[in-house]
Amino acid sequence: MLPNLIPAPDAIPMPGPAWLFQFLLVFTFFLHLIFVNLALGGTLLAAVARVASGGRAHDPRSVLASRMVAINGYGVSLAITTGVAPLLFMQVLYGQYFYTATILLGWIWFGLLVALMIGYYALYLYKFRSAPEGAPATLWLVLSALMFLAVAMVQVMVSLLHAQPGRWAAAMERPWVMLADPTFFPRLAHFVLAAVGFSALVVCWWALRQARRGGAAVETGIAAYAWKWVMWAIVLQIADGALLMSLSPHGVLSGLMRGGAAVHLPLTLGIVAGLVLLVLLVRVRTPAPGRVTAVLLLYLASMAAMTVTRHQVRALYLREATARFQLPQAPEWGIFLLFAVLLAAGLATVAWMVHRVLTSPAAGEDAA
Amino acid sequence: MDYPVWNPVMGGGVLMALVAVTHVIVSHFAVGGGLLIAVAETVGVRRRDPEYRELARRSSLVLILFSTVFGAISGVGIWVTAGLIAPAAISALIHTYVWAWAVEWVFFILEIVAALVYYTTWDRISKGAHLLVGWLYFVGAYGSLVVINGIIAFMLTPGKWLETHRFWDGFFNPTYWPGVVLRSGIVLMMAAVFMVFPALKARAGARPRLLRFLGWWLAAGTLLAYGGFRWWEANLLPTTRRLFLGASPLLPKLAATRHFTLWSMAATLALALVLLLGLPRRMRAALAVIVALAAFSSFAGFERLREGVRKPFLIQGYMFANGLRVGQISEANERGVLALSGWAAHRAGEDPVSVGRQVFVTECSACHTVDGYQAMGRVLPTADDLAALVTAARPTDARKVFAAQCVRCHRDSSASEMAESLPTAQEMRDDPESIQDLLAGMVEGTLDQLHEMGDVYVQASGTQPVDTTAMSHPYMPPLAGTPAEMEALAAYLEGLQGPAAFEPGNGGR
Repeated sequence: MLPNLIPAPDAIPMPGPAWLFQFLLVFTFFLHLIFVNLALGGTLLAAVARVASGGRAHDPRSVLASRMVAINGYGVSLAITTGVAPLLFMQVLYGQYFYTATILLGWIWFGLLVALMIGYYALYLYKFRSAPEGAPATLWLVLSALMFLAVAMVQVMVSLLHAQPGRWAAAMERPWVMLADPTFFPRLAHFVLAAVGFSALVVCWWALRQARRGGAAVETGIAAYAWKWVMWAIVLQIADGALLMSLSPHGVLSGLMRGGAAVHLPLTLGIVAGLVLLVLLVRVRTPAPGRVTAVLLLYLASMAAMTVTRHQVRALYLREATARFQLPQAPEWGIFLLFAVLLAAGLATVAWMVHRVLTSPAAGEDAA
Repeated sequence: MDYPVWNPVMGGGVLMALVAVTHVIVSHFAVGGGLLIAVAETVGVRRRDPEYRELARRSSLVLILFSTVFGAISGVGIWVTAGLIAPAAISALIHTYVWAWAVEWVFFILEIVAALVYYTTWDRISKGAHLLVGWLYFVGAYGSLVVINGIIAFMLTPGKWLETHRFWDGFFNPTYWPGVVLRSGIVLMMAAVFMVFPALKARAGARPRLLRFLGWWLAAGTLLAYGGFRWWEANLLPTTRRLFLGASPLLPKLAATRHFTLWSMAATLALALVLLLGLPRRMRAALAVIVALAAFSSFAGFERLREGVRKPFLIQGYMFANGLRVGQISEANERGVLALSGWAAHRAGEDPVSVGRQVFVTECSACHTVDGYQAMGRVLPTADDLAALVTAARPTDARKVFAAQCVRCHRDSSASEMAESLPTAQEMRDDPESIQDLLAGMVEGTLDQLHEMGDVYVQASGTQPVDTTAMSHPYMPPLAGTPAEMEALAAYLEGLQGPAAFEPGNGGR
């Protein structure tokens, strides 16, 4: 540990209490995670399904890939949009650690932007330009999936590095040293598996809805294929979660064990939800709409619980460092209130707009 | 100051410029495009003109591909880059304006969702609902702009915030409203020049009226931007204006950038009048590229100017370009810069040259590289410079060297007077050690001047902009640190010159 390497907190006070920023950080990160899971997991799933289908257009796996890409045209945009808020609130609370970690990673951190850009445009190339069959289309999709995976790797590197000031001196000389962190790959796998499982579940849910409108054979094929992915993602997730915990630093692990109800509750909820999900998935051979909806809701609940736990794990990692600093506060409630009102109005406007769109179908001359 | 320093090869400023300029061009198109696309569709519906509708439709694809992908990612890119090269500044901005950014995020959500819905629902929903989505997109995009403008303008003219540290005092600062007007004009310019390309895909009969439609918007946008620009200039601090305005601006390159910006605006206006409004039938893709380049040049020029005139600050009156806060100067002079920067101290060691290198990295590397962008090798005087000064056969070189190396410290002198005070070229060749001492003295003298500049800031109230008129280097941050650190820095800089620098005729660099 090199305590003098931790920059001092910003001289300008936080314009609100820490608990408020922590709440906003966790809440907006959860929203962000929903779309990240779709973008990362969905693109990985689409790439594998596309390769497995051999490029045959009518194969359910190929249809799944096209559908997932269609969703992800929006999923990636929304992942970036919703990612702005947690990035913002995190910098208020943990800026001194976050900036240091990103500077130590330097070009690796900057490379995230390049990977994101390539991944996103490759997705659009698959969507707009590629023939429905053949190798070029598959290559764009695989490239996109690999780029998003690279983005996830960089994010995990930053997450681990910013939470461990004791590793900064080593990272200054060799930034890639973070790959040797014992929790790096389990943590990465934890996120990737969660993303794949979630997106497979969304695909399954959507396919069953579509099956009611016709094309039942293809839709049922998609649902069954996606259901298997959900199941295996959960199985591996539970095993990986146990491995991740066992490899976590002693201080973090004991903090999780002795942290009291506030720590135990979300962690227990997350683990129990995972086990219940596994039981539900194993018992159902042919997914039905009602059951899938229930599983999807439970999955979202476990994601919410794990988002809280993730935040608490960061606090445990940084416990020693943060104890040394007092973060000055000077709340500005007036402007916060403006934000809260505008957020409510903005979300209501979005909801109203979507409602208006859904209730105004038109075709031919009457359509826009 | 207390963060590690990231030094990309091309210099952090250049990287930031690359990311920022491309982002602002696309993001301003995203705002203006929202207006022009919504107007075009509205005109198409009201006049029952399908060509306007098709223009809106084709433009919405461009908007999706540029705005929601490149614009969104490069917007995060600005944040990423700023965090890498100026973490203390971005931290200060976030602590001051986190709620403004949060408000901007709300507008951003509306903007992105509306853009995606708008593009997806062509031919699927009623005209009225689709128009509503288009106009909501514009509300979101423009709302985002007026919020971000407050933060950007704050960095240049924080106004009363320096005194009160109140949110609104900094947000509605002296260049806020000029910035809104200027950027409102620019968004129209960007939108019009981008939409010329989709307009060229219309059938031949419809192309002229679509191009004229865009021509009016481009001309109006350019005039609005020009008005906003002049208002913006008028509201700058006198010390800021002195950097690039007047008969002898302190930074001639910035003065040239200003001329470039204004001439590019004039060219954009002329092209709008001649090509789009006057000769729309002659318009081709190659000409559209020229119109777009003229508009992009004016905007990029303005952005370069806006960034440049903040010198020596990142946040005027509060934080210098190297992350040093005005309020830290005394402490840095007393305890040392390395005492404030754990990272520099960790790397420094005991050797004075190594200490000097870390002082350089901490205080100078935000603007200077050793041998790349703004290289110290080009800034430091050499024996060749002195030789050029005293050689009568090269009077032009002598004047150039005098202007580049001497005039800041010898304002009341001239090149010929300076030459008379120096040894002859032959004497320099005979006694290189004396030249080494002379050059070292120049470096130390300059460092002394930069250090003394700090006293002016310390003596100021800290709540008002400092008058930098009398400073030797008003566009540079002061050097802070203990006398030992200043000596170490001098030793490091003298070492950068190498032995060849002290021997005239060896290239000197």
